[in-house]
Amino acid sequence: MYIRELSVSGYRNLNATTLSFENKVNLFLGENAQGKTNLMEALYLLAFAKSHRTTRDRELITWGENFARVHGNITKRLSSISLDIQLSTRGKKAKLNGLEQSRLSEYIGAMNVVMFAPEDLNLVKGGPKIRRRFIDMEIGQISNVYLYQLSQYNRILKQRNQLLKETARKQEKKVPVLYDVLTEQLAAAAAEVVQRRLSFIDQLQHWASPLHEDISRQLEQLRIEYVPSAHVSLGSDLSTLESSYVNAFQEKQEQEIRRGLTLIGPHREDLAIYVNDRDIQTYGSQGQQRTAALSLKLAEIELITDVTEDPPILLLDDVLSELDDFRQSHLLNTIQGKVQTFVTTTNTTGIDHETLKHAKTFHVNDGEIFTN
Amino acid sequence: MQYPAPISKLIDGFMKLPGIGPKTASRLAFYILNMKEDDVLDFAKALVNAKRDLTHCSTCFYITDRDPCIICDDSHRDRSVICVVEDSKDVMAMEKMQEYQGLYHVLHGAISPMDGVGPEDIRIPELIKRLQDDTVQEVIIASNPSIEGEATAMYLSRMIKPTGIRVTRLAHGLPVGGDLEYADEVTLSRAVEGRREL
Repeated sequence: MYIRELSVSGYRNLNATTLSFENKVNLFLGENAQGKTNLMEALYLLAFAKSHRTTRDRELITWGENFARVHGNITKRLSSISLDIQLSTRGKKAKLNGLEQSRLSEYIGAMNVVMFAPEDLNLVKGGPKIRRRFIDMEIGQISNVYLYQLSQYNRILKQRNQLLKETARKQEKKVPVLYDVLTEQLAAAAAEVVQRRLSFIDQLQHWASPLHEDISRQLEQLRIEYVPSAHVSLGSDLSTLESSYVNAFQEKQEQEIRRGLTLIGPHREDLAIYVNDRDIQTYGSQGQQRTAALSLKLAEIELITDVTEDPPILLLDDVLSELDDFRQSHLLNTIQGKVQTFVTTTNTTGIDHETLKHAKTFHVNDGEIFTN
Repeated sequence: MQYPAPISKLIDGFMKLPGIGPKTASRLAFYILNMKEDDVLDFAKALVNAKRDLTHCSTCFYITDRDPCIICDDSHRDRSVICVVEDSKDVMAMEKMQEYQGLYHVLHGAISPMDGVGPEDIRIPELIKRLQDDTVQEVIIASNPSIEGEATAMYLSRMIKPTGIRVTRLAHGLPVGGDLEYADEVTLSRAVEGRREL
């Protein structure tokens, strides 16, 4: 899929404009703090109905304005769609083909985007929250049902935490019946979430491992593993998963009631990344961590293409300069001619690749975007 | 601009109703000023009477102007089945169907620790008490298919099942008469989960 046209108004520091893109590499050149990342964020927003940088939508609206709009026309393999995100001080509207979608889970997934930004290097060395977010966003854009299941899980979790908190505060000796009910409910929701995650990680591993071998010139074997908080395994059915979580909660019951908090479940689980069987989160070098992050992102492109039969749009925000020549050209070779790509950079020196020579170039200067 | 006191009081009154903002409220208030006095009096009386004369049935907690309510008092109804709902409006929805012949029990809410609502805060103890004699053989739980509605259903099932009374839950899935292609993915996946043998 590719985006033909993008309009923004009232968005961050960008001047109101309409841009046409090529179904190949689109290059954005400009000094720092001119609006390059804001443009990338606008594209990301169009796909996910939220920013990758902030959870406060208010920040996305130009200072002093009340209203922001991002609109895009996208050509997919079999159809053409228009997407609209409207932000105001009163809230957010997401429209697909002009129709407002009351559930965001119905909107997300119409446009598939894979973003690679400097922050993504934290995917390997950062905290588990970053990896959970990665997993959730990526499954979310290929499965609406997953987003729904995840929001159900989070709501039950809140209810259960509240109950645990009260039980802890009252120092009740007897465990309330409601505790069992909410535990069962949470375990059932956890089973659905974890089943998806296990199979997603398995697929991602399938695509990432050959890619990583290539990038590392056959020196490294990449293995990723989901780290659950109950005894579960890939391929288990929902009722098996559910009873694993029920058992795990039972083991933690005393501790959970004492602390007034749900201590296990998908909201506490993680992804482990190994290179040549060594956990690189702790033992990897910067370079290894960077390569692993790149392999996972490239694997995502393959995975989405495989599932939706349409390649996603790739956003490379200021990362080309962070990669050495070999990784750079590997990245650009992978996407060449297949994936519509948006690249931002302050200058092109040191990025010498065939792909960029044929790119459509835009200049970004103080919120103004223009072609030569 | 400041409105005269009687009308701003009226506007304030309308604004307390759900779904009514300042614009609609002032439109309604000015409309009332143009109505015939008799109509306004009837309207006012209807408001006051509805509040004064309606109470909750002491058995099933459905809204009623007499106790027991018409449903509990109807000797043709099947006393062995109780349908448990969250709200009086749900009773009306069930009654519109004209198929269900059993009794009701209105909980007036669903269990939600986040909102400070526990099992004791809604009409669950009263329901358990109602089940203590042997007349009731089945309890149909018709709470909403939300997180809180499901938790309430599971809670009731745990409390009632040990007594040997049959506990059932309304099915959820595709709306009747709807096209499969228009169903959203979530509804559809629930319907697949709840599929049954033919």
